[in-house]
Amino acid sequence: MSHRILIIDDEDDIREVAALSLETVAGWDVLTANSGAQGLARAIEHQPDAILLDVMMPGMDGPTTFRELRKNPATAKIPVVLLTAKVQSNDQRRFADLGVEAILLKPFDPLTLSTQIAAALGWK
Amino acid sequence: MNVASDRRPDPPDLTDALDRLWRQFLPQMFERVSALETAAGPLSAGNLTDAQREMANSSAHKLAGILGSFGLPEGTVLAREAEALCSSGPGAAPAAAARLWEITVVLRSLIQNRK
Repeated sequence: MSHRILIIDDEDDIREVAALSLETVAGWDVLTANSGAQGLARAIEHQPDAILLDVMMPGMDGPTTFRELRKNPATAKIPVVLLTAKVQSNDQRRFADLGVEAILLKPFDPLTLSTQIAAALGWK
Repeated sequence: MNVASDRRPDPPDLTDALDRLWRQFLPQMFERVSALETAAGPLSAGNLTDAQREMANSSAHKLAGILGSFGLPEGTVLAREAEALCSSGPGAAPAAAARLWEITVVLRSLIQNRK
């Protein structure tokens, strides 16, 4: 069984490395969006199994995008994993308080990213 | 279920693909280092503008977030230090600017010499 993942990140390099990793290592179906707004639209249209969401984005940032996802009945139940380069514990607590399913740190290892996501979401 | 543990890739495939992405994004890596270099002078002189600080901070943050994924964990550590230096206020010590300059030299070298 394959999974469909939506990656929302404004940085081309992060987005492409993550997509390469999840497609090549795990064989997952990957969708991408380069902004929170585009991500919301893609999530509604494609109903991914999970969303990998960057925190710091111009315009609609990750936390705002997450709240919009939760507000919309069409996307409210999609698991969200935050991806952040913010390593300080106060940032981590703030993100955890949002209610996301998991928080993963950048930089990620392309060889193990899918394993980390699967473990965080309880996918066997 | 289709997870990494039961579908390990052929490592050379992933490595080759990562190398292609590295070459594709190399100009962006150097642009980010350049933004840090640009900030070092004004930081030393105590006249770093908010725009320069924001640009340098953002560039350091982006480098910190990606270099480790391309096998340069030392680059991530240095970029995080640069981000902290760029976040310090207008009264940053000259030593902070000197350290930022040192970091840019090492970062440029790491990026240039990635195998």
